[in-house]
Amino acid sequence: MGEILKTALILTLVTLIAGIGLGLIYAMVKKPIEKAELNAKLKAIREVLIDPESGKLMVDDSELPKSLSELENKIWRSDESGIVCNCRKFKAKVYSPVYRFKGLNGEEIFILTGSSPGYGGDVVVMASFVKKADGMFENAIEILDYSQETPGLGARISESEVKKRFYGVPFSAFKKSEGLKVNKDAGVMPKDKREEIEKLKRDGVIQTSDIMTGATITPRAVVNTLNCMFEWLGKVEGVK
Amino acid sequence: MGYLREFTKGIIKENPTYVQVLGMCPTLAVTTSAMNGLGMGLATLSVLTMSNVVVSLVRKFIPQKIRIPAYIVVIASFVTMVDLLMHGFTYELWKTLGLFIPLIVVNCIILGRAEAFASKNNILASFLDGLGMGVGFTLSLLLLGSVRELLGNGTIFGYRIWAKDYSIFIMILPPGAFIVLGLLAGFFNSISLKFKGSKKG
Repeated sequence: MGEILKTALILTLVTLIAGIGLGLIYAMVKKPIEKAELNAKLKAIREVLIDPESGKLMVDDSELPKSLSELENKIWRSDESGIVCNCRKFKAKVYSPVYRFKGLNGEEIFILTGSSPGYGGDVVVMASFVKKADGMFENAIEILDYSQETPGLGARISESEVKKRFYGVPFSAFKKSEGLKVNKDAGVMPKDKREEIEKLKRDGVIQTSDIMTGATITPRAVVNTLNCMFEWLGKVEGVK
Repeated sequence: MGYLREFTKGIIKENPTYVQVLGMCPTLAVTTSAMNGLGMGLATLSVLTMSNVVVSLVRKFIPQKIRIPAYIVVIASFVTMVDLLMHGFTYELWKTLGLFIPLIVVNCIILGRAEAFASKNNILASFLDGLGMGVGFTLSLLLLGSVRELLGNGTIFGYRIWAKDYSIFIMILPPGAFIVLGLLAGFFNSISLKFKGSKKG
């Protein structure tokens, strides 16, 4: 009996010390972790607010949030459930909150975060949408999480050359074909010239297969997320 | 001299990856690039060294019956600490290795060294053993990661060595891990066999 008690006591002591140690470390790194997460988010927001055509920021420098409270000021729509839209059709989600920024010419810029399942897990995408006179226009994207995608194949989605293929998609392209598609799903052979790739984009076809070694699952996840974002924006803003 | 040997044995003679063939899960999974291999190796090294020291420190108080659960608690605590610290201070690396850091807990090198060495030796020897094994593991992963990145992508640490057109894509995928690991293990074993042979002759 004494033997069992002694053993149990020692094991309790070991776990107790380990627990206290972990608690201390957690309290110590809680702030740095929050800061690192926030910095990663702020960096992504800055990236998608750059106009790919000119390479310049579309907002005034003072519009850029530099702290958590400044970021919270930019919240446009939010939902307690953490999701503002769940698109069954595209198997994609748009997360809360949605941010709104004021562009240099007074235009509205929306920043949405969403995800759709890729090869191994959710591919999380942040995208900026500019409200122009002739309708909503997707400006740029940033890939926030692609950790479950195949290295060298789907994981290349984060390379700037690949991301650029998703830049500058008009709402009309989404409307026209009831959702954007990757070129393989649309049955379009990859094109060589830049103008041809841009033309495909206006017709709602995103081509990445030529620069991603034929990967389709990961770009499809990004395309589906963009579709869900367009669908949601179309619903709440009444964009035509 | 004796202590120095505790450190150096893990690097070549008892190399955890190529000689003891321990910890294959992270070895095969994360070595898609040199950077990932190095990061995983260093994380394992720090956990291994700390757990070896603590296990050696408490070896006289822990009854034989509960030594395994007690060691696992020690190891898991250190892994969680490394995970938290990496999350806070090396965010980019943590994002790439994220999934594999918690898996260090089940890496058999760590429990293996705690059980086979640290529970029977003093603190200094255990510290050096952990450090040596960790360095050996890190170098193995670095080598494996570099070879796979070079063959599969034509780069090492992101620096281009040869044109992308020459890359063998399968080397980055799981089969490539088995192929490169097998060839490297064969290579190191043939060297050690030759070494032993010449000694006898």
